[in-house]
Formats: sequence, C-alpha cells, structure tokens
Amino acid sequence: MKKLWTSLDETTNRPANPVSRMNPKKATESALENFFDDSLMQADTSRRDFLKIFGFSIASAAVVASCEQPVRKAIPYLIRPEEITPGKANFYASTFYDGIDYCSILIKVRDGRPIKIEGNDLSPVTFGGTSARVQASVLDLYDDARYKSPSVKGQETEWENIDNQIIEKLNTLTEQGKEIILITPTLISPSTREAIKDFSKVFPGVRHIQYDTVSASGMLDANEKTFGTRVIPSYHFDKAEVIVSFSADFLGTWLSPVEFTRQYSQSRSLTNGQKKLSRHIQFESGLSLTGSNADLRIPIKSSEEKIILANLYNTVASGMRRTTYPCPESTVEVGELAKELIRYHGRSLIVSGSNDPEIQLIVNALNVMLDNYSNTIDLDLPLLHRQGNDREMAALVNSPADQAPGAIILYDVNPIYDYPQSKALKKLLKQCELTVSLSSHKNETAEVSDFICPDHHYLESWNDAEIKPGTLSLTQPGIRPLFNSRQAQESLLKWSGNNISYYDYLKNYWEKHFFSKSKIINFTTFWNTSVHDGVFEYKTSPAKFSVKITGELLGKVFRRFQEKEEDFELNLYKKVSIGNGKHANNPWLQELPDPVTRATWDNYLCISPADAINLNLKTGDRVIISERMILPVLVQPGQAKGTLSAALGYGRTQAGRVAEGVGQNVAEFIQTENGTRLYVVPKVKISKAEGTYPLALTQTHHSMEGRAIVRGASLNEYLKNSSAGNEMHGETEKHNTTLYKQHSYPGHHWGMVIDLNKCVGCSACLVACSAENNVPVVGKKEVLRAHEMHWIRIDRYYEGNPENPITYRQPVMCQHCDNAPCENVCPVAATNHSDEGINQMAYNRCIGTRYCNNNCPYKVRRFNWFDYTTADAFKNNTVDTTGMTLDLSRMVLNPDVTVRAKGVIEKCSLCVQRIQERKLNAKLENRVLEDGEIKTACQQACPAEAIVFGDTNDPESRVSKLFEDPRNYHLLEELHTLPSVGYLTKIYNRDDEDIM
Amino acid sequence: MIEETVNALLRKKYVFIIILAVVFTIPSFASDNATENGIVVHARDTFYQPDHFELKKAERLFYGLIPISEGAKACADCHYTTYTDTLNWNPSAYDIAGTFAGRPIEDMLRVINNPSGNKMTEDHSGYEITEEQAILLQAYLEKLHQEGKPPHKPKRTNLIVFILINIIGIAATIDLFFTRKIPFRIIHLILILGASVYIMRVVIIEAITVGRQENYAPQQPIKFSHKVHAGNNQIDCEYCHNLAERSKSAGIPPAGLCLNCHTLVREGTRSGKFEIAKIHKAVESMTPIEWVKVHNLPDYVFFSHAQHVNAGKLECAECHGPVDEMDVIYQYTDLSMGWCLDCHRTRKVDFENNVYYSDLFEKYHNQMKEGVIDSVLVMDIGGTNCMKCHY
Repeated sequence: MKKLWTSLDETTNRPANPVSRMNPKKATESALENFFDDSLMQADTSRRDFLKIFGFSIASAAVVASCEQPVRKAIPYLIRPEEITPGKANFYASTFYDGIDYCSILIKVRDGRPIKIEGNDLSPVTFGGTSARVQASVLDLYDDARYKSPSVKGQETEWENIDNQIIEKLNTLTEQGKEIILITPTLISPSTREAIKDFSKVFPGVRHIQYDTVSASGMLDANEKTFGTRVIPSYHFDKAEVIVSFSADFLGTWLSPVEFTRQYSQSRSLTNGQKKLSRHIQFESGLSLTGSNADLRIPIKSSEEKIILANLYNTVASGMRRTTYPCPESTVEVGELAKELIRYHGRSLIVSGSNDPEIQLIVNALNVMLDNYSNTIDLDLPLLHRQGNDREMAALVNSPADQAPGAIILYDVNPIYDYPQSKALKKLLKQCELTVSLSSHKNETAEVSDFICPDHHYLESWNDAEIKPGTLSLTQPGIRPLFNSRQAQESLLKWSGNNISYYDYLKNYWEKHFFSKSKIINFTTFWNTSVHDGVFEYKTSPAKFSVKITGELLGKVFRRFQEKEEDFELNLYKKVSIGNGKHANNPWLQELPDPVTRATWDNYLCISPADAINLNLKTGDRVIISERMILPVLVQPGQAKGTLSAALGYGRTQAGRVAEGVGQNVAEFIQTENGTRLYVVPKVKISKAEGTYPLALTQTHHSMEGRAIVRGASLNEYLKNSSAGNEMHGETEKHNTTLYKQHSYPGHHWGMVIDLNKCVGCSACLVACSAENNVPVVGKKEVLRAHEMHWIRIDRYYEGNPENPITYRQPVMCQHCDNAPCENVCPVAATNHSDEGINQMAYNRCIGTRYCNNNCPYKVRRFNWFDYTTADAFKNNTVDTTGMTLDLSRMVLNPDVTVRAKGVIEKCSLCVQRIQERKLNAKLENRVLEDGEIKTACQQACPAEAIVFGDTNDPESRVSKLFEDPRNYHLLEELHTLPSVGYLTKIYNRDDEDIM
Repeated sequence: MIEETVNALLRKKYVFIIILAVVFTIPSFASDNATENGIVVHARDTFYQPDHFELKKAERLFYGLIPISEGAKACADCHYTTYTDTLNWNPSAYDIAGTFAGRPIEDMLRVINNPSGNKMTEDHSGYEITEEQAILLQAYLEKLHQEGKPPHKPKRTNLIVFILINIIGIAATIDLFFTRKIPFRIIHLILILGASVYIMRVVIIEAITVGRQENYAPQQPIKFSHKVHAGNNQIDCEYCHNLAERSKSAGIPPAGLCLNCHTLVREGTRSGKFEIAKIHKAVESMTPIEWVKVHNLPDYVFFSHAQHVNAGKLECAECHGPVDEMDVIYQYTDLSMGWCLDCHRTRKVDFENNVYYSDLFEKYHNQMKEGVIDSVLVMDIGGTNCMKCHY
C-alpha cells in the first residue's frame, strides 16, 4: 500500500521512522501475563461494584438535596386529526428549491413538527438522494433570525396596514407610469409564474428580473448562440464513459449536484457484476470536490482554460477531419485525451463550470462534434433552474439616476449581499419610492428595504416546481406557519386584488394546466395522488433546436485569447456546505467540515504549496488581497500554481447570530464582463499581513499515521485480480482466531458496507446524521479544541505530489467491532455489546472517564464537554454556542433519541432507533423483516447509494453479499477488532504512469 | 471494645467531625408532588363592589356561620376552600367561583333555588336563598376568584424529623468532644449511632427513589374516574387509549373522543354536571385540557406501548394495576429499571406464532424442535440489551 499523508507538514517534515517498532509477539505475551495475573479477577467485590457504590453515594448526596419532581402535563388534541398518531412520524412529500438547488423530498413530521428531511425516491430527478444543504434546511425553519411579522421601516405592523400602504403606492406608481421591478431567483414554479403574470396584469409597469446568485448566464448565452434556445441541457453522467470537466464542480455545487452524483456513482459502480468504470478527467485550479474524485486531475490556471479547450477542439477536429482554427499552443498536452474522446464519441461528455460564453461555446462545439447531444446531453429536457440573464440585473444596477424604477420588490433574493456592485444597488434602492422585501429570513437586502413582508419557510408553504419540462413536483407544508408570515405569492396576489389562498390558487392552476395531462379521470384523485407522491410527470413534445455552430462563429471565438499572466488569479467558488451563503445562519452547515479542506466555520484563501513556500506563508497566516480584504491562508495541495481560491457565502452582516462575523464576503471580487458575471479574478496581488488567524480544521485531529486505511487499485489491476490492493484482507482473515469468548448473535447481526468507489464525499450523510441523532453543534472555539461531535466524519487522505495529489476519502463512523476495544475498558459497563452486534452506549450510565475514547483505534467516540442542547437539569452546564438551546431550535430534535447531557460519551448507534422501529413494525404486522427495509440516516441521505446496511446473519442480504466481495475489507482489521462495517476498495480508472 | 473504638475515633477526631458534619448537613426532603389543577384564573372587572362588612358577612354565609336556611349544610361543607388529599366529587369553592365569575345573579339564584340535574337537585334541596344572599355569595366567590387558589404546600413532616435528628446527632457530637454535659459516653454513642443509622437510611431510601413516583396520584383538571369508566361501565382500555396498539404512547384521549358518549351522558352520579361540562367547555372554547402526566419515564428511556401491548400481548393491568378500581389514577409500579428487567428476564416471547421470528433465531428453533427448551424468553432475544430501551 502506498504511503498516504494527511497534512502538508507530514510530507515536508516526515520523521524517518514514524512508528516505533515493537515485537508484536512479545507484547501480546506480556499483556496476557498481566491479564491472567490480575488478582481482581478473583476478588469478591469487583472493581465495578466498588465504583457503583462509590458513584452512588456521591450522586445520592448531591441529588437528594431538594429534588422535587416537576409536574409534567399531558395535553391531548381536542379533536385528533385522523392521519395523526401521536408518537409516530408522518411523511409528507414536498420539494426543496431555494433558487439554487432542487430536490424532491419527504418531510418527516413528528407530533406536528418537521424534524428531518429524507429524499423522495419517487422522483425521476433526484431518486431519493439529498444534499447537505437540503438535509440542513429543516433547521432553517426553526431559525430565530426569521422575520416574525411584517414591518414597515423597522416597525412591526399588521398585514392589513402594510397591504394598504403597498397597494396605495403601487397604484400611484402605476398612474405615474413608473416601472415596478420584481427581482426573483429563477422561478421553476409554474403557478408562481402565473401569479406574477396576474400581478403584472394589474400593475402593467411590472418588470420581472430573474437574478441567479449562482449565475449560468454565460452558458445560457452560448447555448442560445449554438442552438437557438436559451436553456441549460440535462446531463447524463451515467451514460458517459469519458467525462471531461473544466472546473465544473458537478458533484458539489454545479447545476444539479444531487442528480449528477447519483449518475456519476452509477457509472463508478463495480458491485453488481459491472466491470466498467467511467473515466473522469478534471481540469481546474482549486481542488474541488469533483476534482478530488477524478481519475486524472490536471491543475490549470482558469485563464488557460480557453486555450486548452481550443487546443482540445483542434486536436479532436483534426482527428475527425474537421476544420481547425488557429490558436496558441496550450501548456497541457491534450493529444491523448483527444484520442480517447474520439474513441468514445457519443459516449463522452465535456462540461465547463465557467460563466464565459466563449468557453461554453467551444464546449458546445466539442460536444456537438463528438456527437454527445441526445446521448449524454439532453436538450429536449432542459434543466429549468437557471434562466437568469446577468445583463438585466447589470442594466438595472447601472441605470441612470433619473431612470430609476419606482419600486423594487425582492422575492427570495439578497443582492445587497451577493451582488458585486452592492453599493450601487443600495443607492438604487434608496432612490426607489417603494422597496419591498419578501424574505423569510433576515438578510442584508431586507434590512435596507422599507417594507418587509415575511414569506413562509418552504416547509410551511404550498408550491410547485418544474425542474425539467414535464417533470413536476409539489411543495406541501409540514407545519402551520410558526410566525406571522404570509406566502410571498399570496402577497402578490393580494396586492393585485385577489384574496385567494395560495393553496386554492395552486390547485386551480393544476386543474387547469396539468390535470388534462394525466391519465386519472377525477381531479380530486389526481390532486391527491400528486400531493401524496410529491411528483407528477407528463410527456412533453421535444423542444425544437437546431445546431447553429458555424465556422464564422467559432472563428470569432478563437480570435481572443488571454495573455499569460504572472499575477495571481483568484477563483471564487462555492462550498458544499454554505453554497452562496443563503443558508449561512444554519449551524449544521457552518460546522460541516468542507470535504476538501476539512475546515469549518470560515472561508479562507487557498494557495498552492509551492506558492506558499515562495511567499513564506503557512496555514493560518493572514494575507491582504489586492489591498481590499484580509483573509487567512490555507495551503491547499492540488491548488494550481499561481492561483488562489476563496469561497463565496461568508461574511454575512445581517443574517442572525450564527452567520454574522463568520468569514469575509468575497462577492465584491466578482467580475462583470459584457454584462456577464465571472468568478475568476485576474491580476490579484497578495501580501502578508500581521498576525495569524486560527482555522478550525478537523482533519489534523484525525491523522491515521499512514496505515493501510483506504485501499485501492487501478481498474486494470482490478480486472486481473478482483482483490487487487486488498491482498492484506485475505492475510488477516487467515489469522482470524481469538482467545476471547466470542459473542453470539442468535438473531440479527447488523452490518454496513461503504463503497469507496461510489462515495464522493458530498457530506449529506453528516448533516443527516446530526439531524437524526440530535448531534450537538459545538461552535468554532470548540472545533479548534478538537471537540467536534459528528458521529460520522469523512476522512480525506492525499497521496503523491503535493502540487497535484491523489485524494482518497473515507467515511468513518463507529465500526461496531465484535472485539470492541472500548467495551472492556469501561469501568461502569456503559458501553457493551448487544445481541445484534451493535456496540451500544448507555448515556445515563456513562460517568465520563473517556477510557473508551482513548482506547478506540478509530477515534469515533465523542465526548460532551458541555451541555450544548440543554439536556441537563443543571442549568449551569449549558453552553449555548450557536443558539441550539433556544426552545425554537430545540423543536428540531428527534424525540426518539436521547439528548445527551454534559460529561457523557456518544457515538454512532447505527441508527438503532430506526432498527427498533422497523423491527417492531414487522412484529406488529406479523411478517418477516425485509432486507433493505431499515435504512440508516446516512444511507437514506446518500445520493450516491454508497452505503448499504443490513443483517449479516442473513446470507441473502445485500450487505452479506458485499461482505463476500473481494473488494471488501475492514478498517485496521489487522488489530482483530472485527468491525461490523466494511469498506469496498477504491478502484480508479487510470494507470499509475498517468499521474503527472 | 467500644471504648477502644471511641478512643480511636477521638484520636482522629477532626476527621470524624468532618465526616459527621457532612452526613448531618445533607438535607433531605420528602419528594411530594404538589399539583395545581390547571385552572387559569383571570382577573376581571367587578360589577359590584361590596364593602368590608358585606364581604365578612358573605364569608360567614358561605362557611355557614350565618345559616342560609334552617338546618342546611354550609356551602363550604361541600365546596372546599382548602386543599384535600382525598377525592371530593363536588366542585371546590374556587371551581364554582371560576364558573360564576362574570355571570348575572339570576344564574346563582337559579342554580341554588331551582337546580337542574339529579345530583344537584338532591344536594341543593332545602336551600332557598334570597337575592340579597345571592349577591353576597357572588361577591364572596368573586373575591375567591380574584385571589386565586392558594398554592398547595405539602407538609414536610419527614423533613422536620430529619432536621431534628440531625440536630440531636450534632449536639451529641459537640457534647462528646467539647461541652461534656452528659456524664456517660454511652449515651453519646447511642445518640450518634442512632442518628447516623436513621440519617443513612433516609438518605439511601431517598436516593433510590429519586425520579421515581410510585403511588403518585396528582389532582387532575377533571375529576375523571377510571373506576366509573373501566370498572362500572366496563369500557375497554383501548377504546380511549387506542394508540396503545400502534404507537409508543398509549395516547391521552382527545376531548372529542369523550364526546362520543358525553354528548348524551351529561351528568355523573357523583360529580353531577360540573365535571362533564368541563369537556364541553374545552371543546367549545378550543382550549385543550391539560392533564397531569402520571407515568413519567426519564428522558433517556424509550418505551413503546405498541411493543408491549400488541407485539408482547401484555394486559394493561400488568403494569398499570387495578385501574378499574381507581377513582383517582395513581402509579401502580415504581417503573424502575429493575422492575422492567424482572419482566424481561422471565417473560416468554410469542415465538412460534409471530412470523417475524420464523426467519430468525435458527438456534432456538432447533433447540425447540429437539426439546431442549420449550419457550424463548425476552432476554434470549436481546431483551436485556442496553439499546433495547436506551438510545
């Protein structure tokens, strides 16, 4: 196995012999001698008895003092709704759409409160997958920074009052013939579009601008030029055998990551007799989630992207005997890649994350030439959630003072924060006679608007979504509105004189437009089915498009190329966790370690190791960027030389106590070229600033000292020998013998297998686990002290050259060892083994010695240093780092899982509450428990289907079969801990000589 | 021997004093569950302001010092103004004060002089009040209503005894070492030992019962009798607690379910119309009834009624006791973990009938076939595992 490394220090300053060698045989013998010599074994009172008595007398002395039982109330419904069973969860199909990401979901509602989001497996787009942000969105519902009632210039008021004022103003403006601007994100809700149409019928001055904070305007422009339709096509990463991505983070943040992750992992699966892997080549400057999964990753400067693409185009074109166009030579050799693309033409896919229309044009031309349209790219069924035209917004912001619009209504957008020219926009808003914000959560734009008409959270709303033509889904509420808010669409309808509830409006719209397209005869049945399933599909006639790529067009594109630059280039990217910053006030997301950098609670400037040495910078140093901003530095292996990366979405100033003051807002660096927003900033100068800044990184706490933890092999090796890279497993199995008395598992024996080939590291499982198991949020200070609490972590290891390392990822949670080292060191037997193979943890018995934590070779046990969620009776133990002790935030807690108090250890329980629930259901229904019926929270959330859970006692179960797979191994299996969690080796589609 | 011990202790007297001081100063309180019956008292504007003399007169009228009519019982004889730990079926003075608050005098006159319902007709027969008396009574009730029910303070006899014995113990210790008033050391010893034993006993018992509420029988907002419903009228437990079969909680019945019968049954034999009217009032005013939870499990325990009632086929009474004999519901068992485990260790599983087990536990199936075992206990299938209940 190759030497893996976890941090840069290790590669540069590696000790000659890191692990002192011990004679293993001798060590075991002496340990055994000590063990049998132990007189405690013969003693009448065991150590445990002593501790029990000791602990009891102290505890009684402390607790006996003035303990009066609190009187608890049991308040039943007056009339219980038919479908509600107190104590049992209901699931309602709904849709998550925040203007950026789309996901079809199920809301788990327990006793009237939404407590968890699950994927909707009926969806033809997301197939039951979710993302970290979708999982975390349930906590946004209970955000204290939501607007709790309508307000006029900061004064809370009644809806009637605010409505009258707004209608009056709108009427005056209409009479004056002034423009009323409505800014929204791209709307994929057909009924909302209809409502806006109704609104603009009453107020003819209304102009609707779709403002995408994550702009794809350049791509839309390019598609308009090449195909005549301004749409983003659907992609089929599952059908592509060669995927070439130019800085498109399609597994993390680009367009439709949940959908793409599923497709991608399908093409990376080797479990069901599949013998083929797609080959993924990534060109990018900063190491992205997608790039870290690529078979071959080529670090480039973003400014070189066009030249490389042009060269690739020319090489492919000459290989296919088409016209080539003159262009400068690229620094990257593309001949091999071109050959591969030609070989797989029609089965390849080239994507680019750039917002430069010319780059996208070359990408389109390449895909057309390679015959990928209607094979791996589908223009008939475009993705509808990026329609914004950057030029409209730019024109608005730059409109001259005398042509300022009369009113600006902002729905679900926050341009003051995320638009680069926010000062000009602020000035414009001040010039308007009427500014209305329809935001649900506190934000910078609403704070400068005159009227705030709070929208419901999406878990309180009715809505619909059409992510692709004919692929519809409904949003239905999981709870009554918590505050005095009103759905934005209803507000618009109300102002246009229509007092209808949005539910009725939506239903009428569906009756009028979609009912006829279904096979169901009765509308009520159609409506109920659609609401129940959450999704509805109908066949649309394919859009007509024609390829309009001409030599003239390409000739124009091939004319302009950027000169090579010596200055730094700054790439503005989005993190998997925070995205564009809309959900920044969500502590689950802030504490989610970035899958690449493993940093929490901050944004920072990523710099390549070589540049860091040149500039004498270390991780944690502060630098001044172009005299405008100070950011801490993070030395990032794989960052292309001469480039920098900084994440958008931080530095919120008006968002609530969690987000405010976290990181810096780099949106001001966004470039505008020909009205298109570009996320690459040229000519950036950095200089070292005084002092250092602590970055809360989680990886350095979990260095695994370079043992064979992630195992893997290349595809060719694997095809020759299916246990390639995993030879050690066979060896360890041979030594499988024990002196301990072995556990017996008469019934179930739960186990889990994680396919490292499918896992991309999207971190949806982390948030799902936190939501399901009431995992506390500890805050940056505590993360810095290595006190983070996540039950599952995604370890990331690097191999090879720090300038372009190979990245490995591995989700690690409690391995539920049959020979668990933690169990036999617990003095109070708080952790022990269940008859179903679960390493169980009794919180109320734990006294917090942390011996188990010390003895766990996987470091998966977490200690509650404080009471983060108000579990204790002792109020002084509570530490409120992120507002999670508020009654409002505590509504998200899962009532089936104990909220842990201060001073106890916790860890993954394999979602034992779900196991128990499903087992009970089977018993109640007098039937056999089916394989796959129990899904752990992480498994349910996984868009890649990388996690399989089941009963290893059942030889027919999926997990048993995967345990037999030659790729299966256990973490640190040489320790003979006999984990119940298995990993399937990582097989990559490259040969070692490919690596540059 | 005793001499020796005492001397030995005296040698280490400072240690001894500290130990005793620690033991004696641990206060103990009998955990007594004080309950309010959940009636919220609202202040309101009075329409008649009686003077002090009139109020005194009214109070005497209510307590029967001024008889309402010849030989009649006083109002306060049935409508208690003080806390009682036995069940009084009649509404308390505060209850009726709440009812009459803000209502016209005619209502009071009608209720007393021409009562409706069997129970009240019987109880109020022989009463004839004048309008003036009615005004006075109304004023007095208004006063009660405004004052609100005084919070019930449980008597802490145990605590007083405990402190007393603590003091005796400390005094004996002080005398033994410093003041020496009592000539014989044996008396000191007896006192100290006796006090220590008593104190330790109290401490241990209190410590064991921390968080346990055996026999807990709080006052409920409605004087609902399980004896009447489940005993006399033989209503099945699961008619009202119908979630027990399918949910973790057995479910306090919603008020709407009470109305299934109580739309027709408007009067109880012992409670009259007063208690049943509370259900109707709750439904009409859309204010849920706040029952006091009797069976409380700690937060870290998962318990499912469905598991026990449906899958385990337990009878309700096995855990809840003779509910059909309880006028006031009380906690029959201590709900301690030991009590749970006693059952989990001895109870048999419905092993052969439930299809769930057919695919599992091959070992037991074989053993049963071979006749090694005749049944499978809950503990055999992991019933004593921590994560059966704690997660």
